[in-house]
Amino acid sequence: MTPPPRSAARAPRSPRTADGSARPGAVATALAGWFVPGAGHALQGQAQKAAVFALVLILMFAIGLGLGGRLFAFQTADPLTFLVAAAEWGALGPRAIGALTGLGRGDVVAVTYEYGNAFLIASGLLNVLVILDAVDLASGRKPQ
Amino acid sequence: MTTHLGVMLLFAASVAAVFGALLRDEPRSQARLAARIFLGLVLAAYGLGWVLYLAFA
Repeated sequence: MTPPPRSAARAPRSPRTADGSARPGAVATALAGWFVPGAGHALQGQAQKAAVFALVLILMFAIGLGLGGRLFAFQTADPLTFLVAAAEWGALGPRAIGALTGLGRGDVVAVTYEYGNAFLIASGLLNVLVILDAVDLASGRKPQ
Repeated sequence: MTTHLGVMLLFAASVAAVFGALLRDEPRSQARLAARIFLGLVLAAYGLGWVLYLAFA
């Protein structure tokens, strides 16, 4: 039996909506999901998942700020701080809004300071997983 | 809600909800997986807490 040609096996698939219109590509989906948690899934037609992600991840970020967590800046001198900052930037929209509104200065002496950081970091990292899932949907690697 | 238990429960519920929605497609199976993850996180936290307490008491 002759295997299918490589070009046919690797032909790009373009996910389509139920009415046959094309969905946004992987880059647009990733950027939307990065700005607003869940927006990538919304663009791919998965409204229920998008609502859960938006609600929970934005709430986690808000709780982190409310508990006195800190929005860390990138510091190459301190690798752990650099990683924490990178994790928090995983949710671009909430991170940017928090920074622009002056939130996230961090209350180091608060008993909930570390809890707040845990919420902020987990929110950003979970959003990265959500973005990757949405990109898989957009590129056709994962069935709709 | 600033108690250790309350914050831990809130964190576990949030993480469980995201993973449930991420790894399953049907709402019913999403809720079931989220409940299992939530219970696993809470029980693991309790178990680890007791282990550390007994180890360093």
